[in-house]
Amino acid sequence: MSRLRRGRHRAAAALAAALLLGGCGIQQTDVIAAGGPATIQVLRHRNSQALLFFRLPDGRLNPVPRSITPYGEGGGPRASAEDAVRALLAGPGEEGEALGLGTALPPAAPGGVVRVTFSAQGGVRARLPLPLGELDATARHQLICTIAYATVSGAEVRMTGQDDASASGTCGLGLPTGVVPTRPAPGRGTVPPPATG
Amino acid sequence: MRRAWTAVFGLRTRLMLAFLLVASVSATTTAALTYREARSALLRTAQDTAISSFRDQVRQTAFSLPPRPVELEDALRRMAGKGKPRPWVVFAEYGSLQVSSGTSPVSEVITPHLRESARTRDEGGFERVVRDGVPYLTIAVPTVFEADTGEELPSGLLLYAVMRMTDEKTNIDALVTAARDGALPGLAIALLPALLAARSVLRPVRNLREAAQNIGSGRLDTRIEARGSGELAELARTFNESAGELERSVHELRQAEARARRFASDVSHELRTPLAGMLAVTDVLDEDAAHLDRDTARAVRLISSETGKLAVLVEDLMEISRFDARAAQLNTDEIDPAEAIRQSLRSRHRTDGSILTRLPGGIRARLDPRRFDVVVANLVGNALRHGGAPVTVTLSTRTRPGAGPLLVVEVQDSGPGIGPEVLPHIFDRFYKADAARTRSAGSGLGLAITRENVRLHGGTVRAENLPGGGALFTVEMPLWAQEAGG
Repeated sequence: MSRLRRGRHRAAAALAAALLLGGCGIQQTDVIAAGGPATIQVLRHRNSQALLFFRLPDGRLNPVPRSITPYGEGGGPRASAEDAVRALLAGPGEEGEALGLGTALPPAAPGGVVRVTFSAQGGVRARLPLPLGELDATARHQLICTIAYATVSGAEVRMTGQDDASASGTCGLGLPTGVVPTRPAPGRGTVPPPATG
Repeated sequence: MRRAWTAVFGLRTRLMLAFLLVASVSATTTAALTYREARSALLRTAQDTAISSFRDQVRQTAFSLPPRPVELEDALRRMAGKGKPRPWVVFAEYGSLQVSSGTSPVSEVITPHLRESARTRDEGGFERVVRDGVPYLTIAVPTVFEADTGEELPSGLLLYAVMRMTDEKTNIDALVTAARDGALPGLAIALLPALLAARSVLRPVRNLREAAQNIGSGRLDTRIEARGSGELAELARTFNESAGELERSVHELRQAEARARRFASDVSHELRTPLAGMLAVTDVLDEDAAHLDRDTARAVRLISSETGKLAVLVEDLMEISRFDARAAQLNTDEIDPAEAIRQSLRSRHRTDGSILTRLPGGIRARLDPRRFDVVVANLVGNALRHGGAPVTVTLSTRTRPGAGPLLVVEVQDSGPGIGPEVLPHIFDRFYKADAARTRSAGSGLGLAITRENVRLHGGTVRAENLPGGGALFTVEMPLWAQEAGG
């Protein structure tokens, strides 16, 4: 009986406490998810453009549009893959560095030859003027993504360096709404898909 | 503790407190639940509006990538004015660049949590933050852009909006005020049914108490009106039934007592006529006893004396029956009580030295002379029989505050006094002071008749033992007796 009564008292007290703790006014909240990212409109210049992949201060890769040559000289709105790789190797530039963009690639040797071809299987092959074996994963990923978005964004890119070392992989930066990236073939120097959340 | 609680407060207070408690609990609960619902609806509306309009703005604004700080700031300022439901401050992040539409490029309100969640999970979100008592809504939207390939790629540009929720705060505070202002009159109104309920409970209780008092003071025909079928009506019915039973029992007892008294009265009446004849015969026999032989003469004298005693007993029984039947009446006359006492003693031949009298003259009193004579004779006779000579009879007057002048007759004997176990019963009928002595000269009704006579005059009689030995009987009666009707 007394235990029952005590239990009832406790329940009443808990109810009162809950009502009071609900509190008056506006309470703080935790972070509440509210939909995915928003698509923005990007101002375009009348130039051929390439997407270069540079590193953000937090270590993630970020696509940076860059105008390379005026329309008339380059051909279409998209710059060629060779131009894109050359621009990537040239680095983010002063303006980019001011924004915190960085690169993991070494400064390019002058006069290097970049060649990008398509393989019979639909893949992309690239010959690069730098020792591929010395590059870290971020640098290889920068190259793969830049080449892929200058050619076929979901394609597997196979690169061969000056040192004849080769690496392959897909970019996989696009959101699920875009082209589904194919899984990279297993092999030496395969770049794992970046861990972007 | 519980007992103390119920002891301190009456039924009315407890009922009112219970009503108030119930009313306040329900009012508070309702107000609190309503308030919570209204508040979350208010906040949800504001938040949903703000988030969707911010996303729309972000979608409709053109940015250059990578952003140029000056251009970006212009774009943010344009967005800042278009905030819905209220203008907001817009912040942007790109790489290490931080720009805002306000004065400071970095917001103090946006928490690292929100920033982290937007940056690493590519997911929009919002958070309510209270800083210095001011509530803010902070919204984070990461952005993507469409690449030439048709794919959407993260742009690296993060946009935040910070909106003060002061209007919402005002509205919500108004809700609290409204809830409080509604609850207090509600509680006051709840007192009204509480009073009514208390009255509806307390009135039957009061009736019951009054009825119980009536029954206690002898009005056995008291009944309560029992309406309806509630617990209180049941109680009233039970009370009525009990009162009915009580009345019936008392009535039966009274009838039995009356029958017994009438029986005694009838018996004494029936005995009177044959006794009168017997007394006439024994008088003759007494006179002739001298001529009879000794044994026969003794038997005749015994029969004569016992018949005389029987006659006295029957007379006394009839007298007491008249008192029981309330048929005794006071026939008052203005007399000199001293003379009445002297006459009483003389008529019973108490003139020898065994009686001492202190009878001052000049007192006038209105009494029933016959009954006064019986009182004096019984007291003196009792004193001579059970006490011892000499017996002193004293007459005096006395005034007692609150009563009129009193006539006091004191009869004092010189015997051993009355036993303490006897004293309380000395005026009872047929009470024998000495259980072994079953036969006494008196009828056993003398003192009882004395008391009834004194009472009839509106007086009292009491017996006590004197410190020096001997018993003292004191009669006090008003000098001027009221001639009562019965």
